[in-house]
Amino acid sequence: MGDGKQARSEEFQSFMVGRWPRLMRTAFLLTGEQHAAEDLVQSTLEQVYVAWRRVGSADDPEAYVRRVMINLHARKHRRRLKEFLAPRDDSGLVHEVADTGDRIAQADDRSALLEALAQLPPRQREAVVLRYWEDLTETQTAEAMGCSVGTVKSNAAKGITKLRAIPGLAGMVTHGGRK
Amino acid sequence: MSADREKHDMTQTDIALLLADAADEVEIGIAPVQAVIRGGRRRRARRWAVAAATTMVLAGSTGATLAVTGLPGDGQQDRGTSVAAEARHVDRPHLTELAGGTDQGQRWRVELSVWDAPRDKAEVTRQLEAMRRYGIDADALPERSHLVGKTSHFASLYYGDRGGRVLLFDTAQEWNRMTGKDIEFGALPLTKGGADRADRLVVGQVAATARQVECTWEGGTGSVVRPRAAAGSPVKWFVCLGPAGKANKSAWVMD
Repeated sequence: MGDGKQARSEEFQSFMVGRWPRLMRTAFLLTGEQHAAEDLVQSTLEQVYVAWRRVGSADDPEAYVRRVMINLHARKHRRRLKEFLAPRDDSGLVHEVADTGDRIAQADDRSALLEALAQLPPRQREAVVLRYWEDLTETQTAEAMGCSVGTVKSNAAKGITKLRAIPGLAGMVTHGGRK
Repeated sequence: MSADREKHDMTQTDIALLLADAADEVEIGIAPVQAVIRGGRRRRARRWAVAAATTMVLAGSTGATLAVTGLPGDGQQDRGTSVAAEARHVDRPHLTELAGGTDQGQRWRVELSVWDAPRDKAEVTRQLEAMRRYGIDADALPERSHLVGKTSHFASLYYGDRGGRVLLFDTAQEWNRMTGKDIEFGALPLTKGGADRADRLVVGQVAATARQVECTWEGGTGSVVRPRAAAGSPVKWFVCLGPAGKANKSAWVMD
């Protein structure tokens, strides 16, 4: 392998190791399930690896990665709708081991939020996760989702409204949630 | 700030906090760097028709297949040369018969078609129509939105009086650079749905410098073939056919 290729490979590995935790969390919110999240991140990074020569030298490789992940999520969702609308029991959330009442309640909240997210249409879920977890601007979210800013606003607003309408979650949100 | 606005902001802030809380539940684990790299290499390898049971192997030097060259389809041409539109094979592919023979009384041949990159939507439309006329299955047709600037190639099997069956295909902006003993190949049955389901037809590509490839089969036998150049492709191609009922075990560049 030439020096250039070696350097690019090392650069990619460094990028991947550094971004892995954050990508896993985002994927988890998108998919609601541990293994699905791992699959999504792995598939995303495989595509990034293929295009790394171009991506690695781009001004904002993160934007490319987000776009790939959202595309993959949207594509998979089109094919396997039910998988995402019905969170699986092995999510690890429902069976959270809780040793105090507060932890139990906290796990319940998380579970409620993930279930609520899973019930959102995928575009609304993507908009909510990118805007409020990734903390992207509307423009950045639109770039990641490959749509207009107006569509992002609409999807995010609908998503938030639906989340607030869910019993339990609405109370958490309205009263400041658990911190 | 109005009370409504305050409440609105509070709500969205809290949703962000709840999301962060929920996101912390995922088990992060160790980044599977090697698995991702292997997966990436597979993605770079040819896309094999999924209709048939196939095996695919990407072997050779350490990651050399990840290197990229110029636009595919320009083969040995000087990359700085401007190719006149009429000389490009946008709707008339470069065609090369890679191999052929007779199996159980039926003639068969494997043909490679290489389609030069369309430059605009009009050329994409022309190319897709031409691909359909040529006999590319709908499953193997590239997506219209991804065609501009990309070359496509298809290796099709013609068996008996049947139409072409796409064995492998790819649409990409760049060909993999193959050097030394790099090899990419797939193995699949000669007939689709036939009695002999052994993966004994091997189609693959090697570096332009490769001179001999050996395919080995179940039972320990082997076949040596000479890879050949194909019009429009910067790499050489080879085809091996194993004995009836004997699946492919491996393939490697001898020299």
